[in-house]
Amino acid sequence: MSGLVDLFAGLGTLMTPAMLFHAAWATLLGIVVGSLPGLTATMGVALMTTLTYSLDSTTAIFVLICMYVGAIYGGSRSAILLNIPGTPASAATSLDGYPLARQGRAGYAMGLATAGSALGTLAGVLMLVLIAPPLAEAALNFGSFEFFWLAVFGILISGQLTADTTPLKGYIAGLLGLAVAMIGSEGIHAHVRFNLGVQDLNAGIALIPAMVGAFGFAEVLTAMWNKAGELAVKKDKSDRTIPDLADIWRYKFTIARSGVIGTIVGIIPGVGEDIGAWASYATARKTSKEKEKFGHGSHEGLIAAETGNSAVVPGSLIPAITLAVPGSASSAVLIAALFIHGIRPGPLIMIEQPHFVGLISAMVVIATIFMAFYGLTLTRAFVQVLKVPYSYLMPVVFVLCVIGTFALSQRIFDIWIMVFFGLVGFVLRQMKYPMAPLVLGIILGDLLDKSLRRGLTLSDGELAPFFTRPVSAAFVALIVLSIAMNLAPVRRVALAPFRWIGARFNA
Amino acid sequence: MHMALADRLTALLLFLLGLALLVGGYTMDRLEIRQIHPASIPGLVPMILGVLLALCAVLLFRSSYKSGQRNAELVLSGGSWARLGMTAGLCTVYALALVGWLPYFWATLVFTTCFTLVFSFPLDGGRRAQLIAFAGALVLGVVVSAGSSLLFRELFLVRLP
Repeated sequence: MSGLVDLFAGLGTLMTPAMLFHAAWATLLGIVVGSLPGLTATMGVALMTTLTYSLDSTTAIFVLICMYVGAIYGGSRSAILLNIPGTPASAATSLDGYPLARQGRAGYAMGLATAGSALGTLAGVLMLVLIAPPLAEAALNFGSFEFFWLAVFGILISGQLTADTTPLKGYIAGLLGLAVAMIGSEGIHAHVRFNLGVQDLNAGIALIPAMVGAFGFAEVLTAMWNKAGELAVKKDKSDRTIPDLADIWRYKFTIARSGVIGTIVGIIPGVGEDIGAWASYATARKTSKEKEKFGHGSHEGLIAAETGNSAVVPGSLIPAITLAVPGSASSAVLIAALFIHGIRPGPLIMIEQPHFVGLISAMVVIATIFMAFYGLTLTRAFVQVLKVPYSYLMPVVFVLCVIGTFALSQRIFDIWIMVFFGLVGFVLRQMKYPMAPLVLGIILGDLLDKSLRRGLTLSDGELAPFFTRPVSAAFVALIVLSIAMNLAPVRRVALAPFRWIGARFNA
Repeated sequence: MHMALADRLTALLLFLLGLALLVGGYTMDRLEIRQIHPASIPGLVPMILGVLLALCAVLLFRSSYKSGQRNAELVLSGGSWARLGMTAGLCTVYALALVGWLPYFWATLVFTTCFTLVFSFPLDGGRRAQLIAFAGALVLGVVVSAGSSLLFRELFLVRLP
């Protein structure tokens, strides 16, 4: 229960006028960023990282958390009003949010989305404070063998679950990310690899320029390439923003279940909010007594999707803080930001900064409170935001991509990296390669490389410890199962117990 | 272009990249002079990645011949090529040529104004609408370039390019 005590201590630390001011503007900006199609949460966090270099570490992380929470929630605005998810996390929201808006009940849809998001985030925070400390302590026993398999598992599962069409493209994206991580000075002997004779590549490819390119510039290109959506402007006289408490209570089990699903999805490395929303939505639909309403303006569907995607935010922080393995693309940027601000995520965090989990949980709670406040009060203002033309918005975003990238090390070379990753990222997206495994590969490449070679050195070249140590063996089993699940007969057998339990529940 | 063809071309590129990684890792300095453990040579992981990437490329190539909706899908369709080309061109010229050649303020002013004008100038509109569009683009350009210059130079103490 010390996690809960730390949470309250963290709330006490953050309850200062200056901190609340930062939370207020950062959450609002996050909602605006998230609500605009073409600007994602990851892009918002990456760009905001470049604007927080000069802030002290607590304030900087607080601002980034507020941006993250706000942006994931903000995506529901355009999903409901435009039928275009502001962020991929809100794709499931549009299924029932847009039909409600078309019926003239956009305000109520936004109110339900707000309630779902707030409750989902709080459910995730509860699991964050309860799970993160013991997980970090358990991870203290991890050695090179375990960290190697953890990195492999993270990239593999991320590739498998985020791929749009075939897991193969997810695996390839992960391998490409790992290949990028091989560039520059390696972590054991400081030998420079694959610098192609370019001195600027000796230190490797910095994560922030790569992320700003892959998520910022690529998003600008995608936004200008796509067609604009049609704003749902019809308004019913009975429409209101404050959700009916009876409505929320009726779906209490859906909310609790979606909160748990979202958090678990968040814990799985590199999977992200969109999978959290889809998994929650699909489960809610399967277990609902009003299945026929799904896709036609179901309150339950809308709540499930929003609770699911928002619960991923604190869920993704669990592995990010305790293992330095990001649970989503946005938390990958957060890890980079933590390093920039002198905080080392990983198992040692509970020794070096034992109150950090409580503090970051408190940040999420405060961001959620501001998010709920804005969500219920600024409905009309957000509709206006959606009317800003891309021709005015996108040059501003790109200018921030350029100057934010440059500001990191004050090198023009970083801008070139950003542009390269932007162009490549756009083409890869169009060809249905997911970005999350690519980012995870870049982040985990160093860990995977060092752990494999250290492990082999420790075992004098023997491979046995990679398979015989208990945690390593468990990871190997998970990895084999994940790959085998691509085969239909294995999938059928593995999922049979879950189907049986589901059938008993439905009966 | 159909996804099947795009996948085949990508598979070819990925296979070559995998081979390059394998060869690069194999020929990489093994640091014998420093008497490191042979299992910790710097080229080990690149070699493994090269093999895996080449293997995935072969699987991708094979899967592109399967009939199905996925392979029949069109790549880079449903959007505007003109808008994409202009956006990519303007952004690339700004980032790779203007920044560093012109002072940051002027580079950003030129980019922002041009970008806004290219995508919002009413060619068929009246003189008044055209003037408003031009003024709007110019105001945005000045605000963005001055605002970002001040923010990064004065607040974040960045020496602007």
